[in-house]
Amino acid sequence: MDARTIIDYAKSLDCVHCGLCLNTCPTYRLTGREPSSPRGRIHLMRSLAEGEIQADADFAHEMDFCLLCRHCESVCPSGVKFGALMEHTRAGLAALEKRPLHVRLARAIGFGVLLRDRGALSLAAALARVFAPARMPLRAERAYQPTLTPAEGERTSAVLMLEGCVMSEIFGGVNRATAAVLARAGCEVRATPQLFCCGSLHAHSGESSGARALAREAIEASEALCDERGAPLPLVSNSAGCGAHLKELAALFEEADPWHARAAALSARTLDFSQLLAREPQRSLLAARMRASSELAELSPIAWDDPCHLCHAQGVRREPRALLALLPGVTRVELAGSEDCCGSAGAWSLTHASESSALLEGKLEALRASGARTLVTSNPGCHMQWDAGVRRAGLDVRVLHLAELLELATRN
Amino acid sequence: MDPGLLRGLREILGEAGLVERRNQRVPYECDGLAFARQLPELVLLPRNTDETARCMRLLDEAHVPIVARGAGTGLSGGATPVEHGVLIGTSRMRAILEIDERNRFARVQAGVVNVDLSHAVEQLGLFYAPDPSSQKACTLGGNVAENSGGPHCFRHGTTTRHVLGLVIVTPQGEVLDLSKARAEPEGLDLVGFFTGSEGMLGVATELTLRLTQTPPVVETWLALFRELDEACECVSDLIRARAEPSAIEILDQLTIEAVEASVLRAGYPKEAGAVLLLELEGRESEVAAQARILEPLVRARGAFELRRARDPAERTRLWAGRKGAYGAMGRVAPDLYVCDAVVPRRKLRELVRETTAICEARGLKVANVFHAGDGNLHPNISYDRRDKEELARVLDAGDAILKACLAAGGTLSGEHGIGLEKIGAMEWLFTREDLAAMCRAREAWDPECRMNPGKLIPMRACMETRT
Repeated sequence: MDARTIIDYAKSLDCVHCGLCLNTCPTYRLTGREPSSPRGRIHLMRSLAEGEIQADADFAHEMDFCLLCRHCESVCPSGVKFGALMEHTRAGLAALEKRPLHVRLARAIGFGVLLRDRGALSLAAALARVFAPARMPLRAERAYQPTLTPAEGERTSAVLMLEGCVMSEIFGGVNRATAAVLARAGCEVRATPQLFCCGSLHAHSGESSGARALAREAIEASEALCDERGAPLPLVSNSAGCGAHLKELAALFEEADPWHARAAALSARTLDFSQLLAREPQRSLLAARMRASSELAELSPIAWDDPCHLCHAQGVRREPRALLALLPGVTRVELAGSEDCCGSAGAWSLTHASESSALLEGKLEALRASGARTLVTSNPGCHMQWDAGVRRAGLDVRVLHLAELLELATRN
Repeated sequence: MDPGLLRGLREILGEAGLVERRNQRVPYECDGLAFARQLPELVLLPRNTDETARCMRLLDEAHVPIVARGAGTGLSGGATPVEHGVLIGTSRMRAILEIDERNRFARVQAGVVNVDLSHAVEQLGLFYAPDPSSQKACTLGGNVAENSGGPHCFRHGTTTRHVLGLVIVTPQGEVLDLSKARAEPEGLDLVGFFTGSEGMLGVATELTLRLTQTPPVVETWLALFRELDEACECVSDLIRARAEPSAIEILDQLTIEAVEASVLRAGYPKEAGAVLLLELEGRESEVAAQARILEPLVRARGAFELRRARDPAERTRLWAGRKGAYGAMGRVAPDLYVCDAVVPRRKLRELVRETTAICEARGLKVANVFHAGDGNLHPNISYDRRDKEELARVLDAGDAILKACLAAGGTLSGEHGIGLEKIGAMEWLFTREDLAAMCRAREAWDPECRMNPGKLIPMRACMETRT
């Protein structure tokens, strides 16, 4: 395999080298090193494609060091598709096997076994609770959703809910809250064990064949659940990372591949749950059920931390804030740098533990300064990262998923 | 690189402060002038004045050439490495050392990003006035080296008017503290001399910068014209009528299209042939008075619409669009050559026409977005650096534009500096004696000409002064 072909060369040419991405990049801000910036990484990719450099261990290191937070895409005037460029490069590196043996072994177990099978993941999560309790959130809970949660009150729509791999193993309570809130907003909520892992972690890490296999499973599972007119149900995600991946699923397949169109159709019907709830009539139905309570008041003030794959990858910023504004008796304070990465980034926090802590330190500083008593997020990786950080820093702050907060406010 | 020298540098900086291996140095081979490339031997990332000075003493003993680099956003090749040379980057010097609200200054390390300083003092009702378009990325140290401008420098002046003091590491590695004299300089104004010296005299590591009071009212106006000509003419009308906004910018249609297609989506009307972007600032009555003068003037010049940004969010979007225009042009072609030349304001229209004709004659695509109030043109020429023949045409057009501006009584650079890009053009503007005098001034600091050699002043002139 020619190393030069691992780059999506055409996409790399979109970068005009202006540098406006630099100050948004967590790894550039941490190290001050140009090769650890978006512009520097694109420069390396392009140099590789043009035969100026080799795809050696240094090259692989810089590519793996990126968190794929995609903050750079939010500010790039030239429209560089950095996430897609990076996933493409990582897929090529995986094929070249430039990584050390122990890394390859760990990847094979993680991507080939754990994230492909609910039983295996469940066992791993159980072991983690015993051997690595510090990494586990306090309220870790395994729960699988029933295949049908009926709408409360008038049924206005039906949706398919993505339970997700990590969510159902560690944040079962979040899934339950999500389904409850959707039901209270008039949605009939369907779930299916056939729809397990969306494959986003595979794709981010360059495990493209695994990502494609899981994508095909997800497409088939979701196509099987239809509304009265036979159209597949909208797919709702409460995990920013999964939602972002599902919305760009077609990128995994060549255009001539029939799966490309089916993936694109799935993307078109995928929504973050906040997007669905911020629409009418869901929003009004939810608002009508809101009740002030002492339990809710104790959580105030709250701060919203934008998950990277919600704000940068999906462009969803307004909806979660609009929903939080509905909470009675709760004030929301702004978190400085709420669009900056917390350092979780899937498995990155495990592979780059000290850098991950350093990034989180800055976020914790902003949290302290905000005076918030509750930190709200909507991605399992960020949730775990914040949870661990708050505990380590000894802060009296609760970390909640947006769905949990909405559930509490609409509980009668 | 000599192993002894490398060991010494590593002792000072540690692994995190060195970029040594080839695949990590490659991204440093150019700055914003992307076609000019040279791999540096080594990149040093010191954290403070002391580390910088100790490194520079070792480099002095070994006679190694040095190029300083901020964020590498410069457009004249000021931070392009030189052969057998070392790059000193300021990207790990990002601390704001002191904010003195009462005396309205800030002391910062050289690697602080321009916009970060304004953010840090926002709550105090202050800001740092010079606002280059790259302000979200470029460093204040780089701004000092290039004497950077920006849209609002029309009112507030370029960087040099905002530098109160500097700590400089000389080419020999001595620390020269020029930050004490905050009023009038005693003796020679070395701070003034250093600002804009493009990395030739040493490396500034700490800067004392003036902070400006945020005006109570700021309004952003757009005047829409069918023709670029009319917008250009309008600029002189405004100034003649003493309606002096704090910023006067012009964007042409191609620029607007690129900006509107980008994430910036600023809200510029695509039906306009040119937009005059104006900012009014001051007390409420002053702004209202300026707006009253404005309206009949732009109408008389043929503007078909005059509109005011409704709220701060719209203002922010419009300015983000203006400032991201260079990046947005990346949608048109892989590379962009941003020319920078200054003409007397009353000749704006002729020169904009001429630059367009120069580019068209060479089969090149040009977009215009510029600081009209300062007569500072930025013809943006799209190209692909892989096409050597096209690149040659671009450079030829750049030369022709500069010559036209000089012929009209203008000068070589408004804000990007001379760097590598226009070093040849220095000989068009200055006599041999002029250049020799500049060399003598430079050599008083750096007798070996080791700092950023081959930039700003043609080396030939320096050779001649020596012989």
